[in-house]
Amino acid sequence: MERSFSKEIESLRLGAGEVFEGEGILAVTKALLQSGVSYVGGYPGSPVSHLLDVMVQARDYLDELGVHVEACGNEASAAAMLAASIMYPVRGAVTWKSIVGTNVASDALANLSSPGVMGGALIVVGEDYGEGASVVQERGQAFAMKSAVWLMDPRPDLPTMVRMVEHGFRMSEASNTVVMMDLRIRACHLNGSFIASDNVAPKISSRALASQPAGFDYSRLAHPPATFAHEKLKYTARMPAAQAYIESAELNEIIAGSDEAYRGIGLIVQGGLTNSLLRAMALAGLADFEGNSRIDILVLNVVYPLVPDQLVRFCADRQAVLMIEEGQPAFIESELGALLHRQGIKAALHGKDFLPMGGEYTVDVLREGVVGFVADVCSPAGLDEARAAIDDVRALVRKAGESLGTMVPPRPPGFCIGCPERPVFSAMKLVERELGRFHVSTDIGCHSFATFPPFSFGNSILGYGMSLASSAAVNSFMLPRTVAVMGDGGFWHNGLLSGVGSSLFNRGDGVLILLKNGYTAATGTQELVSTPTTGMRRIAEGASATSSDMTIENTLRGLGVKWMTTVHNYQVDKVRSALRDALTAPERGLKVIIAEGECQLERQRRLKPIMAERLRQNLRVVRTRYGVDEDTCTGDHSCIRLSGCPTLTVAPSSDPLKTEPVAKVIDGCVGCGLCGEVADAAVLCPSFYRVDVVSNAGWFERLSDRLRRAVILMMTSKKVAA
Amino acid sequence: MSVDIQTGNTRPMSILIAALGGEGGGVLLGWLIESARAAGLAMQATSVPGVAQRTGATSYYLEMMAKPASGKTPVFALAPVAGQVDVVLASELLESGRMIERGFVSPATTLITSASRVYTTAEKMHGGDGRFSDQRLHTAGQDMAGRYVALDLQALAQEHGTLISATLYGALAGAGVLPWPASLCEEIIGRDGGRRAQASIAGFRAACAAVAAPRLQQHLAALQPAVQAVWLERIARLPTAMQINAAHAVVRLSDYQDAAYAGQYLDRLAALDLAVHLVPDVAAEAARLLALWMSYEDVFRVADLKTAAPRFARIRDEAHAGADDIVTVTEHFKPGVDEIAAVLPKRLGRWLLTRVKPGTVGKGMHLPTSKVWGFTALRLLALFGRARRRSLRYTEEQLAIDAWLKALAEAHQLAPQVVRLPALRRGYGDTHARGLRNYRHLFDTLVQPALARGVTDADVAVLKSAIDAALADPEGPALNQALEKAGMVKLPVTEKPIIWATRQRGVGA
Repeated sequence: MERSFSKEIESLRLGAGEVFEGEGILAVTKALLQSGVSYVGGYPGSPVSHLLDVMVQARDYLDELGVHVEACGNEASAAAMLAASIMYPVRGAVTWKSIVGTNVASDALANLSSPGVMGGALIVVGEDYGEGASVVQERGQAFAMKSAVWLMDPRPDLPTMVRMVEHGFRMSEASNTVVMMDLRIRACHLNGSFIASDNVAPKISSRALASQPAGFDYSRLAHPPATFAHEKLKYTARMPAAQAYIESAELNEIIAGSDEAYRGIGLIVQGGLTNSLLRAMALAGLADFEGNSRIDILVLNVVYPLVPDQLVRFCADRQAVLMIEEGQPAFIESELGALLHRQGIKAALHGKDFLPMGGEYTVDVLREGVVGFVADVCSPAGLDEARAAIDDVRALVRKAGESLGTMVPPRPPGFCIGCPERPVFSAMKLVERELGRFHVSTDIGCHSFATFPPFSFGNSILGYGMSLASSAAVNSFMLPRTVAVMGDGGFWHNGLLSGVGSSLFNRGDGVLILLKNGYTAATGTQELVSTPTTGMRRIAEGASATSSDMTIENTLRGLGVKWMTTVHNYQVDKVRSALRDALTAPERGLKVIIAEGECQLERQRRLKPIMAERLRQNLRVVRTRYGVDEDTCTGDHSCIRLSGCPTLTVAPSSDPLKTEPVAKVIDGCVGCGLCGEVADAAVLCPSFYRVDVVSNAGWFERLSDRLRRAVILMMTSKKVAA
Repeated sequence: MSVDIQTGNTRPMSILIAALGGEGGGVLLGWLIESARAAGLAMQATSVPGVAQRTGATSYYLEMMAKPASGKTPVFALAPVAGQVDVVLASELLESGRMIERGFVSPATTLITSASRVYTTAEKMHGGDGRFSDQRLHTAGQDMAGRYVALDLQALAQEHGTLISATLYGALAGAGVLPWPASLCEEIIGRDGGRRAQASIAGFRAACAAVAAPRLQQHLAALQPAVQAVWLERIARLPTAMQINAAHAVVRLSDYQDAAYAGQYLDRLAALDLAVHLVPDVAAEAARLLALWMSYEDVFRVADLKTAAPRFARIRDEAHAGADDIVTVTEHFKPGVDEIAAVLPKRLGRWLLTRVKPGTVGKGMHLPTSKVWGFTALRLLALFGRARRRSLRYTEEQLAIDAWLKALAEAHQLAPQVVRLPALRRGYGDTHARGLRNYRHLFDTLVQPALARGVTDADVAVLKSAIDAALADPEGPALNQALEKAGMVKLPVTEKPIIWATRQRGVGA
């Protein structure tokens, strides 16, 4: 795993009254233990990976408590885990990245929410929306509504987040319904503190075993005719119970406004946006920086279900209300509108008319929306300054643009230094030059970075493990054979069945390049079924450990894949030959190229301490890196267009006649050799050289080196200008 | 500092850190968080790293203020607001530009940036020079920020064997923007102990001092003094604009071949000057590109440069090898039949190309130049360069050079574009072949016809867009698109193999 959580594990043990300091997602993790969960599961993905990572690393401590931790195969298996709470009074929590994970889990969610739960069940989803996000389509709210799962969107401060986790379980039990907690990216990574309470060891657990299974109860099965009764229960019994709980536990908050002039208006906001809203209001003079507002605000820490009585009370006797709801469609605003209309409340409802339909609600966006709303409804004079400030920001951004002249070039994430996936795409580029373009369906994972320059590969990207399946139809009408790229993470997540299984069954054609790096690397190098064992990794030292694990090869062979070859990624020439063979083979059928090369982050993490220890013991150590001869480099940068390595960059030429920058390998090069390999395979350039630095060499090696250098010195040309 | 964080109800002080993924920005944020806590401030920090924002642009954001007397917890924002950031700290120069672009740098802002560049892929993959101008970024920083500090924090970090997080923190402390003393920073950095912490503290101190008392740096590059009096006299007769490049060229070409070859270069320039009076920019560029073209890189040249005296010292230095370390150097070579034919005598080379398909390559060679046999082999090859004038490529290059010079002399308003053409011929192997194809195509289908019928302004625009396209995207379709847009002849279609696969249809197929 990429990150070690030893410090954080200590803070999971904190008792009542002690101060927890740390990240939001870890505070939520601690709150789970304080709530007495029996089991925790999930699938990694930003921004909630740390929840599961820290739990996995804290297995020993969790064992003491009797808490079971499962790193699930995908989000569907994580959601299915919650079935434990249907028939048993045990609390459990699972986590994944939304919206993608919620999509994968949604079948299980539907059947989970039909019978409902006995023990509290909580789903912590990272709503990956706005800056830094990778999936901004769709809203978790839609899933909560269609499955009748309650949705919390807490104010982003640690005490509130922790309180909401604890109430989430109680509300789940009070209403026999699964509860989902939505955390935005910045809330997950928010650093703050809260006063801890003691952890609670679950009553039924891996330490306190249940002696026998629950009795047979058909009404707890998601199967007709029981489901017909469930549909009634959802809205006649469970939802009213949840609404009653929300009211009695005061989960939604009212921030009372201090200014009589604004008594006629009110703001309703999703809990997660509260801090941004208060800052926007402070900048407009409508609040102070301690969170005291001049306008009444209703903070919805629970956004589904809404509590009609509470909303009616808040809106009655007001002239107008602004609903602040991030994302589209505007579910809350629509429901609120219907409610006010039905109840005959006269307050005008505003929302998406003052705020944008899509996109992140940043402080700037909120300031404009709220100022616009307040000025329109109350038109008080004091807002002139606020409006001028908004214009100032626009002028500032405009001036900045003029000062820079053009847009600064974008810097999307890319492959790490020494990443073993990069050479595969270099080889693909070379084959493309030779055979012409081919259709490439891409997938989710680090290899998605190949859709960015310099590779710019990919005709479709459909989801995690979906690349092969998404080329099934294209194959039927495309003359050149199609290529699907998939990582081992996506393969085990669902690519094995939806891709390989389906292609074999339908006797499909096409090439599958399976990148076997041994981990779900993009989410923080979590382990997989096919991750090399600790023993294999120890033996491999600096070499790629993934060549020793055959799980993927055996699985594919067992499934009936006939054409399969495994190549080591760094041999660009061999990868290229394999791809060329696969694309040009006369016989039909799925062709799988397993491109093997261990994630460089894992390899380096293992190698660095070994090398440091060897140096410390004065043992012989060889360090490799690459270089480019500035003199022979012509500055065409074709090597960069085939590599994209962060350490292969450009530098000003010291040759006064070369005005354009030359290629240069900078410090940080881990000596993977791709640049040299590419230069060979593409017949690029003789400028690349490999340097091996031998430290602590023996006397014989040192002596022969000295002799060699002396002889070479004699032969060296003495450059003299004419 | 525009915000006094000790006063009651004001906006919290805000620090925005712009960095690259995997660079250690998280470590810096950790130090800031711990320091703020130790200083007794109310604080909140957040970030958008994803779990693996590998090498992409990312940012960290921190707000802090004195704990309110009311006992209430202040409400902190989770993201920076345009015009409302007190300190912007960037680990890389372009990233400071990104922060400026988004309006985070205002007159109320202290902008501290490392002057070092980590080029983006978009900048690097450009066939010529695609780098965003450093100067423009500095100017924007000075224009937009209340206070602008730029220095190479990456180099400082390297110098002290630490990472940029340490020097970034030092720069913050040195700029006097932190509401706690530098001694507290050092205490927090040193907490984990060990050698790494020592190095971090050293880097911290160096950056702190450097920002506090900025040094002036000399940026003047000296010219090579090796040009002898004989040459000086001849060079002096050239137009002023050509002279500096010509001086460099004489040194280069004497080394490349011999004095006569350098003389031939000056003769060519003089003849060009006699035929047409070029504007200074074009004249300078003509002198520069002619020199580069005449010292084209064939295997003799590569072998010569690879065995040149200062090379091994430079490599040892670059690899940070200790005095006792043994350094072995292995060259990556893969000469193709074209390159071999190029250095053979004219007839032999042509014969070879009729027997072996151009583009055919042998196996890659990994030649150890730090071993005696490897070095000797290359040195011998370099010596054969004396017979270069009889080689096939020499003959062809000289003909092409003369054709280009002739065109340049007759080009009138097209000259500023014609002079750029040789830049297309760069590279080795496939790159060179493609460049050569592009050059010939533009020369034959655009330049020659235009000269024959008289140059128009339209020709200038077309040739300019074609050269721009070929330089920016040498392998891709840009050149063809540019030609098509201008209604010109597109590049000849290259052959691609057609692959036949059996296609079984019907039930049970």
